[in-house]
Amino acid sequence: MSSVAVDVPKIRRYGRRRRTVAWVFAGPAAALLALFFAYPLAASLLQSLEGGFGNYARLVRDPSFLRSLSNAGLILVVQVPVMIGLATVLAYVLNQSWLKFRATLRVAYFLPAVTTLVAYAVVFRVLLRTEGGAVNQVLGLQVDWLNDPFWARVALIASLTWRWVGYNAVILLAGLQGIGREQYEAAAIDGAGSLTTFRRVILPQLRPVVVFCSITSTIGTLQLFDEPLVLTGGGPGDATLTPILYLYQVGFKQLDFGYAAAIAWAVVALIGALSWVQFRYFGSRTSGKERA
Amino acid sequence: MRRLVWVLAVLGALVSVVPFYWMIVAATHDGSELFASPPPFLPGGDLLNNIVKLEESVHFARVMATSVWTALVYTALSSLVSAMCGYGLAKYRFHGRGLLLGVVLATMMVPFQVLLVPLFQMMASIGWVDTYQAIIIPFLANSFGIFLMRQAFLDFPDELLESGRLDGAGDMRIFYRIVLPVVRPQLGALVIFTFMSQWNSFIWPLLMLNSEERYTVPVALNHLIGLSHVDYAGLMLGAFLATLPLMLVFLVFQRQFVAGLLGGAVKG
Amino acid sequence: MKRAIAGLSLVLTASCATGGVPAKEAPKITQSANAKVSGNIEIWSWDVAAKALQRLAPEFEKANPGVKVKVTDIGYDNAYDKITVGLKSGAGLPDIITLEDTAIPGYAENFPDGLVDLTPVAGKYKADFDPAKWQAASTAKGLYALPWDSAPVGLYYRRDYFEKAKVDPKSLTTWDDAVKAGEKIKQATGKRLFVSDLASVATFTTLLQQLGQGYFVDGKVAVNSPDAVRALTLLKTLKDKDLLQNEKGWDGRVTATKQGKAATQPTAAWWSGTLTAEMPELSGKFGVVPLPAFEAGGSRTSANGGSALSITAQTKNQQTAWAFLDWLLAGKERQVSMMRTEALFPAYLPALTDPLFDEPQPYFGGEKVNRLFADEVKEIPPVELTGDDKQAEELLKKAVSACLLNGEDPKAVLDGAAEQLAAATQREIAP
Repeated sequence: MSSVAVDVPKIRRYGRRRRTVAWVFAGPAAALLALFFAYPLAASLLQSLEGGFGNYARLVRDPSFLRSLSNAGLILVVQVPVMIGLATVLAYVLNQSWLKFRATLRVAYFLPAVTTLVAYAVVFRVLLRTEGGAVNQVLGLQVDWLNDPFWARVALIASLTWRWVGYNAVILLAGLQGIGREQYEAAAIDGAGSLTTFRRVILPQLRPVVVFCSITSTIGTLQLFDEPLVLTGGGPGDATLTPILYLYQVGFKQLDFGYAAAIAWAVVALIGALSWVQFRYFGSRTSGKERA
Repeated sequence: MRRLVWVLAVLGALVSVVPFYWMIVAATHDGSELFASPPPFLPGGDLLNNIVKLEESVHFARVMATSVWTALVYTALSSLVSAMCGYGLAKYRFHGRGLLLGVVLATMMVPFQVLLVPLFQMMASIGWVDTYQAIIIPFLANSFGIFLMRQAFLDFPDELLESGRLDGAGDMRIFYRIVLPVVRPQLGALVIFTFMSQWNSFIWPLLMLNSEERYTVPVALNHLIGLSHVDYAGLMLGAFLATLPLMLVFLVFQRQFVAGLLGGAVKG
Repeated sequence: MKRAIAGLSLVLTASCATGGVPAKEAPKITQSANAKVSGNIEIWSWDVAAKALQRLAPEFEKANPGVKVKVTDIGYDNAYDKITVGLKSGAGLPDIITLEDTAIPGYAENFPDGLVDLTPVAGKYKADFDPAKWQAASTAKGLYALPWDSAPVGLYYRRDYFEKAKVDPKSLTTWDDAVKAGEKIKQATGKRLFVSDLASVATFTTLLQQLGQGYFVDGKVAVNSPDAVRALTLLKTLKDKDLLQNEKGWDGRVTATKQGKAATQPTAAWWSGTLTAEMPELSGKFGVVPLPAFEAGGSRTSANGGSALSITAQTKNQQTAWAFLDWLLAGKERQVSMMRTEALFPAYLPALTDPLFDEPQPYFGGEKVNRLFADEVKEIPPVELTGDDKQAEELLKKAVSACLLNGEDPKAVLDGAAEQLAAATQREIAP
C-alpha cells in the first residue's frame, strides 16, 4: 500500500486537463463507494458510539471477545504460515513442466475454494463424525473432532487449509511464472539442485507475492466467519469463536447492534495495524520499484 | 524423486477433491440413505429423481437462470468500473487520489456484516428492496478488483500512452484501444474473481430478495434447510450444479487467470 | 442450526445491556367493527408452516372476496437475519411474520414499536390457548403474537431395545427410573439412553422448563438456581454413566436415531414428522411415553419449539392481517386441518378434543401418540422469557459443555455463568 509508483514529473506534463479526465475514470467507482460504502460505514461508526465509549470499554473486559481474539491469533500464527508454506511448495510443483496432468491437478486444488458453503458444512460434518466418520476411519482414531476444544481447533485449522491452500497456490503460481526461465537455467548451470534452486532463486523472487497472500490471509483470518459458523458454531465453549462470529452473535442473535459495531471497529483497527506492519517489515525490502 | 513428488501431488489433489466427490455421491442418493452407517461412497441411482425433486421444490432452472444473468451483468459492469478506476488511480495524479485509494483499501478491511443494516435502510428508502438492481449496483465498486487493476496499470509503460497521445487519440480512446488489450490477462483474472464473488454471494441477496421468483441459487438452496426436515440430497445436488458454471469459467480463463495475476498484484 | 427450547416471558424489567432501549409503546392494533376486510397481505414463513399457509390462503381469499394473501417461504435457516434487519431498519417487512416462541421476547424488547400489540382483539382468547405459549407471546407491555403450534415434549423410545432389556417403558416415571433403565438397556443392547449435543444447551433448557423455570425469575438471573443445578446434574449423571450419545447438529441427531444408537429421545411432538419422513424403515419400532418426572408427581412434560404469528408495525393493512390470524388460528377447523395435513400440533386448546387425535398411529405400532401429546399441551409449565435469553443461552452453552465435556462441577459452572450474565445484563442474581 506504500505503492504510489507513479512517475511524478511525467504526470505533471499532462497538465490540468488530465486531472479532470482522471475523474472520468475514477469517478464512477468513487461515487459508488461514497454512496454504498462510506455512508453506511459512517452510520455504523455513529452507532457504535451510541451511549458514549461504553461499548469500547466493555470490549476490553469481555472474556468472549478476548477469547475470540486469541483464537484468531492462534490461527494467524499456526494456520496462515502453514497454509502459505504449503501453497508455495504446491505452486512450485504445479509449475513444473514435467508434471503430468498439470491442468487437471490445478483445477483439483482450486476446487475447494469454489464449493458452496452449505455443501461444505454438511460434507465436513459427515467426514468428521466421531463414529463412522471417514476421517476417523482412515486415520484409525476415535477423536471427537467438533466437541473437544483442542481437536475442534485442529479441525477448523485443517478445514481452513483445505479450503484455501489451492486458492493461494494459484496466486503464487502466477508469481512463479513471472520468474524468467533464464534464472532457472542459470541456477542449473551453477549446478544447483532442485531444492537449492527453490531456496536461492525462487523464494526471494516470490517474496512480494507471498507477502500479498499473507496480507489477504491475515484479513481473511480476522474476518473469519463462514467456517467456524458452519462447523462448530464457535464451540465448544469459546474454543473456535472468532471476532466476526462473535459480532454476528451479539448483533443478530442478541440484537445489541451498538456493541456489535464496536466489535467491528476494533477488528478494523487490528487489521489495519497488522497490514501496515506486514507491509512495513516484510514488504518493503522487495518493493523497491514501488517506492521509486 | 520426480515420481515421489508426482505421487504426493496426486494424493494431495485427492484430499482436495474427496469432499467434492462425496457431494456428487450424496447428490445421487436418496436423502435418507446418506445417514446410513457407513455413509455411501459410490454414486447411487437417484440422480434423476433428485433433479426432479429439486426443480419442484425450488424451481432450480429458473433460479439458475437468474443467478447466471445477474452474475453476468454484475461482472461486466463491475469489471469495467474496476478497470477504469484502477487506471485512473495508477496513471493520473489528481486531488483526492490518496483518499480514494485509502477508501478502496478500507473496504477490504471492514467486515461486511457491519454495513448490512445501514445499507438495507438505504435500499428501503429508495425503494430497491426486492429488486435486481439492489443485488447488482451497491457492490459494483469492488475493492479487490480496483486494487488488482491499479497494480496492473502501474507496470504499464508510459511510452505507449505518450505515443497514443502524439497520434492525437483522446484519453478514452487510448484506454480502450491501447491499454485494455494489453492487460487482457489481468482482465481475465478480474472477470473470474468478480464472477465468483457475485455467484456465491449469499447474505445480501437473502436480505434483499423477498419474491421467490427473484431468488438466486444460494438463497434458494437455503430453503432446503427446514425446521424439522433438511433435504440433504437436494442441498448437495444444488450445490454441485451451482459449482458447474464456476468450474466452466475457471477452466476457460485458467490461462489468463494465472497469467493475469502475475502482472498485477505484487510484482517486485 | 436448530433452535430448540421454549419459554416465555412476563415480567420484564426493561433493562438492556447497553441501556439504549427507548421506552416506546407497542402500537396497539386498531380495528373498527364495521371496516371491510379487503386488500393484499403478505406473510413470511418457512418449511411446513409455509406449506400450510399456502394451502389455506385460497380458502381465506374465497371467503373474503377482494383479499389477496401472498405467502413467501423465506427459508428457516437465515429467516431471523432477514427479520432482524427488517425490524432494525423499520422497512422491508411484510404484514405478518412467523416467529418461534423463543424469538418473540428479544424482538419485543429490542424493537418495542416493531410488532403490533394484539391485546385489544386477541385478549378474549387467552383461555383457549396453550398457557405456556400465551405467556411466551406476551410481555408486560402486550401480546406480540398469536400462538400457532405447540411443542409438547414426551419420551420417544425404541420398543425392541426395551423388550430386549426387559424394561417396561411405562415404568419410567422419574428420571431416577430412567437412569436405572438406561444402564440396564445399555448392558443388554449396548445402546445409550438418548442423543444429545453436549456442546449445546437445548436438552438442559428443556429439562429446566420441565421444572417450571426459565433463565430468569422475576427478571433476575436464575441460571444457577437449585432447579438449574438439578437439571444439569441429571445430564452429568447420564454423561458420567456413558448414557448420552453425543452428536453434533441436526444431521448428527437424525443419523444417530436412524442408526438406532439410542434407546429413547426426550423431544417434542414434531419429531414424529422427522421420524416418518427420514426413517420410514423404522416403522413400528418407536413408542412414546410421558417424560419421566424429576420427582414422583412432578411435571411429565416440557416444550421444545413451536411458533406463533405476529403482525408487524410496518403493515398497511392491520384489518385484514388480523382477520386472517383470527380465521387461521383461533378456531378449530383450520387448526385441525393443519394438524391433519402438516402435522402442526395446535396450540388452540379446543382443537385438541377433535377425534383426529384419537386415531391410532401405524408408525408407532398403533399407539395413539397424538392423544398423549394433546393431553400434555395444557400441562406444559409456562416459564419466563426475556430479551436477554439469547445472551444467557450463549453463556450457558459454555457452562454446559464445560460440565459435560470437561467434567466440571454443575454448580460451579452455573454460578460462573450467572455472574457473567448478571454483569452483562446488569441484572441481579436471584436469591
